[in-house]
Amino acid sequence: MTQQINRGERFVKLVVLLIAALLLFAPFLFQDIRSLEVAARICVFIVLVASYDLLIGYTGIVSFAHTMFFGFGAYGAAIALKQMGPGWDAVILGTLAGALVSLVMAVAIGLLSLRVKAIFFAMITLAAASVAMVLASQLSQFTGGEDGITYKTPEIFKTATKLAVTEEGKVARLFGVKLNGKLAAYYFVFATSLVLFLFMIRLVASPIGTVLKAIRENEARAEAIGYRVVAYRTFIFCVAAVIASLAGSVYSIWLKYTGPETALSFTIMIDILLMVVIGGMGTMYGAVIGAVLLVLAQYYLRDLMGSAAEALSEIPLLPFILEPDRWLFWLGIIFILLVYFFPRGIAGTLSEKDAKT
Amino acid sequence: MSHPSLVTEDLTIRFGGHVAVNSVSCAFRPGELTVIVGPNGAGKTTYFNLISGQLTPSSGKVLKDGIDITRMPPSTRAHHGIGRAFQLTNLFPQLSVLENVRLAVQARAGEGWKMFRRVDALTELTARAERYLEATRLDTVAHLPAAALPHGDQRKLEVALLMAMEPDIYMFDEPTAGMSLDQAPDVLDLIAELKRDHTKTVLLVEHKMDVVRALADRIIVLHNGELLADGPPEEVMSSQIVRDVYLGKSTEAA
Repeated sequence: MTQQINRGERFVKLVVLLIAALLLFAPFLFQDIRSLEVAARICVFIVLVASYDLLIGYTGIVSFAHTMFFGFGAYGAAIALKQMGPGWDAVILGTLAGALVSLVMAVAIGLLSLRVKAIFFAMITLAAASVAMVLASQLSQFTGGEDGITYKTPEIFKTATKLAVTEEGKVARLFGVKLNGKLAAYYFVFATSLVLFLFMIRLVASPIGTVLKAIRENEARAEAIGYRVVAYRTFIFCVAAVIASLAGSVYSIWLKYTGPETALSFTIMIDILLMVVIGGMGTMYGAVIGAVLLVLAQYYLRDLMGSAAEALSEIPLLPFILEPDRWLFWLGIIFILLVYFFPRGIAGTLSEKDAKT
Repeated sequence: MSHPSLVTEDLTIRFGGHVAVNSVSCAFRPGELTVIVGPNGAGKTTYFNLISGQLTPSSGKVLKDGIDITRMPPSTRAHHGIGRAFQLTNLFPQLSVLENVRLAVQARAGEGWKMFRRVDALTELTARAERYLEATRLDTVAHLPAAALPHGDQRKLEVALLMAMEPDIYMFDEPTAGMSLDQAPDVLDLIAELKRDHTKTVLLVEHKMDVVRALADRIIVLHNGELLADGPPEEVMSSQIVRDVYLGKSTEAA
């Protein structure tokens, strides 16, 4: 197909490539622990948001259970690492167990309820997610309850691990960056996220991707020309669930801690929704842009406002408005403006702009 | 005469107390073009919905080549060779014209589950879709979203989707409604071509009498959900009862 690629779309792709490059070299470009924390969170959330976009953006399925699948993956790896000790066998077993639970739950929810109207489906996923949250806090002998669990990860990811040593036996440096386990852990997160994201990019460009879009556009006609809508919906719900679960496992290995706050809370679900809406639904690249913007805002808006308030301390009122504690207020204003100026999300609106003219 | 490809046996559907289609038994043969006429509300579109699966009958059966398809979902019926174009334009609005048709080609080819190949790399599918676009003279707008087409072209795309399904049974629900005079012949030529291929069964709901005269091998008349008349065009059109309920009103309907 000779689809003309318009300028807006090219610009979005360029931005995404730039983000990918920044993430690839993140440990070398931003040499402090917090930045690496942010970069890893961005990687994981890109995958999580993109997998959610498969549902809401491509197929038109509204689910509130995405964090639940993320949590299954995270707790699967976490519990296995806690119980079996820090080996790769625990990582693999825990990840697979989490993915399997996610798959079974997705099949069950999908087959039971993807036939019903969208609103009922959304309610059912909400109920399932709430049950998962209650279970996680009640089964505290496995999950650590509200406190969560801390555990050790495989040797190679330990900060003390030296990937390469100098002649004096100290950890070697490349461009001033210590070649230690933290670096290995980051690249583990980056590589798995990249593979999962590329898989999804391929999926949406494949024949099945076009069927999903057809279902979103006109379910009845998709059925009439010969696509079993329930089967495709259940399938993509399962794929999205397993990918979210894998993202959860990766994140739990990076954090070395899993608790309701990091893996199951409803705040994560809201973050996912905001990211996909801000980035642009049904674009895949929107997930990248949305995740980057929101994670950066969550980590740095406070600091930014703090320094801005300090710089403007001479001027009346402004420092008061820019008080760092009001960062959520400003985040809200930024969202409203983004949604106002980019009604179809940043990637969606930009790609569309030139297509019309 | 050849075996019927499509049979409806005592097909009935009730909505509450209203019987929309009442015990319609009819057999359709390959190579035969049947026009279904009847006043508004006669149950023509409902009858189509029962055959293509958008509705499930209260009682009665639909048989395709002897196979009972009464309880099958529309997608399964499509794989059994039932193809349907809709009266109200029913497309994938944000997808391009080419994507719309390619989706139908892909469903026919049974390649909807492929997930590791780029759809653009399946050039055979695209080439087949393009042939149908040429046939309906939509090839020049192939890359526009369906929603951007003028109404008449959307109607043509509706027909192109049905053509691309390559079914055994072609069901057209007022295919030329809302088309300009110069667009209608494109579609009617396509339908006439189907007639020449003696293996296809064509069902056509149509109001325009000149179209009916030009194409019909057989006319069935529905009235209040019941089969009122069934026979060759001359016979049906000249029967008094049909004139009373339908043909008398055709001038104002058209």
